[in-house]
Amino acid sequence: MANETITKTPAEQTVTAEETRSGLFYRPNVDILEKADELLVLADVPGASREGIDIHFEDGQLTIHAKAPRRHENVEFLVHEYGVGDYYRTFRVAETIDAANITAEYADGVLTLHLPKAPAVKPRKIPVKA
Amino acid sequence: MVLIPWRGKQREREPGRIETSPLAALRTEMDRLFDQFFREPLGTFEWPFGDRGWVPPVEVTESDEEVTVRAEIPGVDPQHLDLSMVGNQLVLAGEKKDDLDRSGRECHASEIRYGSFRRSIPLPANVDEQRVEADCTNGMLTIRLKKIQPTPAKRIEVKGR
Repeated sequence: MANETITKTPAEQTVTAEETRSGLFYRPNVDILEKADELLVLADVPGASREGIDIHFEDGQLTIHAKAPRRHENVEFLVHEYGVGDYYRTFRVAETIDAANITAEYADGVLTLHLPKAPAVKPRKIPVKA
Repeated sequence: MVLIPWRGKQREREPGRIETSPLAALRTEMDRLFDQFFREPLGTFEWPFGDRGWVPPVEVTESDEEVTVRAEIPGVDPQHLDLSMVGNQLVLAGEKKDDLDRSGRECHASEIRYGSFRRSIPLPANVDEQRVEADCTNGMLTIRLKKIQPTPAKRIEVKGR
């Protein structure tokens, strides 16, 4: 599973290092978008239930772990194009994030995370007094 | 499908050869799609007609009574799903809408594919079209199709003279 970085340097925006974990995990596909005041992360985690999703943010590291229980054992597949297992992915977020105000929504197998930037890093226009 | 001997890049090494007849042009186009299909794994196959589509991965299992088809379709609103039976094929069609306003946002990762999809899945047994159940929960589509049970063989007595 990858440990990725979200930084502001345009050249190396995402992937940096690999981190392996025991067990079989699937790496969810994500879209990451940045606005002036927040980072938005969308992750496809089909089959996971809302209760089984665990999101951690610590020391600038965002971890998504979504449980997707196996549905059947010893079944012979006629067509088998995807595996079923937990989703796991970590990201290193270089921006200073207001951790207390991170919010998440889940609908139709898509997890949406809003990571608001801490006030200190929000762009601020300073008026010049006469 | 007719098996065509592999020509590789031969066609490109024949300068000046122009496909003139519509049939030849169609054949060239079919060859191109065929090559593209086998060069790319299923999941990244680009639907060549219209918008950039995607192909949801599916799983087919069967028991004595029913056939179960599952597909991973995260982000597809069940209202934008269109399921139908054509002969002995189950047709899944739908659209994964991207309704996020992306303007003014810097993109750091773009791995999710959006757009419409259409896929026909041949079924391994005859099923009763009237008894199909479909459910879409958490981005996982599950379709259960009841098999038509063959009527038990009837023994025919042969009368002798």
